[in-house]
Amino acid sequence: MSASAPLKPPRIDGRRLRSERTKQLIIEAYLALLRENSLSPMPTAADIAERAGYSVRSIFERFPDLHTLRVAAADYGLAHAAALAPARDVDADRPTRIKSQVETRAGTCERGVALWRALTLNVDEDDALKARLHIARTRTIDRIEIMYRPELSVLPEIERRNMLIALEALTEMESWARMREMHGLSFAESCALWIRAIDRMLPPTPL
Amino acid sequence: MELSNVSDTSIKKPNRIDGRRLRSERTKQLIIEAYLALADAFSPRVPTAAEIAEKAGYSVRSVFERFPDIRALQIAAVDYAMAQVTALAPSGEFEGDRQARLNAQVRARAQVCERWLPLWRSLIINQGDSAELKDRIRVARERYMARLEVVYQPELAAVSELERRQLLIALEAMTDLESWARMRQFFELPFDDACIAWIQAIDRLLPQSSTSA
Repeated sequence: MSASAPLKPPRIDGRRLRSERTKQLIIEAYLALLRENSLSPMPTAADIAERAGYSVRSIFERFPDLHTLRVAAADYGLAHAAALAPARDVDADRPTRIKSQVETRAGTCERGVALWRALTLNVDEDDALKARLHIARTRTIDRIEIMYRPELSVLPEIERRNMLIALEALTEMESWARMREMHGLSFAESCALWIRAIDRMLPPTPL
Repeated sequence: MELSNVSDTSIKKPNRIDGRRLRSERTKQLIIEAYLALADAFSPRVPTAAEIAEKAGYSVRSVFERFPDIRALQIAAVDYAMAQVTALAPSGEFEGDRQARLNAQVRARAQVCERWLPLWRSLIINQGDSAELKDRIRVARERYMARLEVVYQPELAAVSELERRQLLIALEAMTDLESWARMRQFFELPFDDACIAWIQAIDRLLPQSSTSA
């Protein structure tokens, strides 16, 4: 390396960093409001501003409209879910894999159902949301496929696809929400229900 | 008994048909049907009073004379739709061996999903904080679960009370209207392939019946 090209530490643009931080706080305020009232799919700009501790103008400086904020929240939710729910126990025995997948999925549902509802209730407005919902579903199905690879491997192609469809439906966000809200099941009872159902549905594990 | 002993007041008169009331009920029903047709076409958007009035062939005033607001009309329409689903449900689901019941139940459910999905979506999206609409959503789900319980009674009888409840919750989740919509729209399965996916899933989930075990 020549002496004329010493490596400088990258310059941190403080203003940009603060602006990004503000954006994130606005998204987090929006998500917190959704969690408090999951049936109100779009809190007002005033509500979000108050919760985040900024002015309404600050919000619209960073998000041209509330729909853009919703899309940004979807990206934030996807990144968050991926970070908090890595695949665990992939090579473990069947009961351990089922338990691990169910508990991870349950955690994602518990944290994410409010945002999920906000997205699904507004999906017809914009393809940007549809694309994100598509990514979320595909990731869930990919995860199921990884966790139950030994059992799925014994099924013919179409039956494997049908099994994935059924497992995705069973462990869908609204299915979780109904267990918790409509049927009044606890977190542990809901997990137990999913574990038992998945164990019934999967074919025997090959030796 | 001699006729002379019968007082005039006890003679039964045929029920008088109140023509005005009958017409008003008919108008109400036509407005509900117009709402359902438009809600189906515009789903998930709720049609406006002007659109409903035009479709039904009445004035907006006529609509609001019978329903104080659109929410009241929405509730009446949901009640009407739920009564239709119940009335049109085939009875074949309850008969035959496991495979016959599976086929019949899945096909019947699939047809309900195909027919009512847009309205169901509209209802879910527009329920807001209406206790009446929430109550109807809950009742619709409970009725469906009660039907599943009767159709699969031989299989469910083989397990404990707790397991039976768990199985019913799982069956309802797997065969929810949105689950059907995903098979048709997200996975792009034709009607028959989607039915097969459900039949396979339910067959795997259900225990053997106590008689066949």
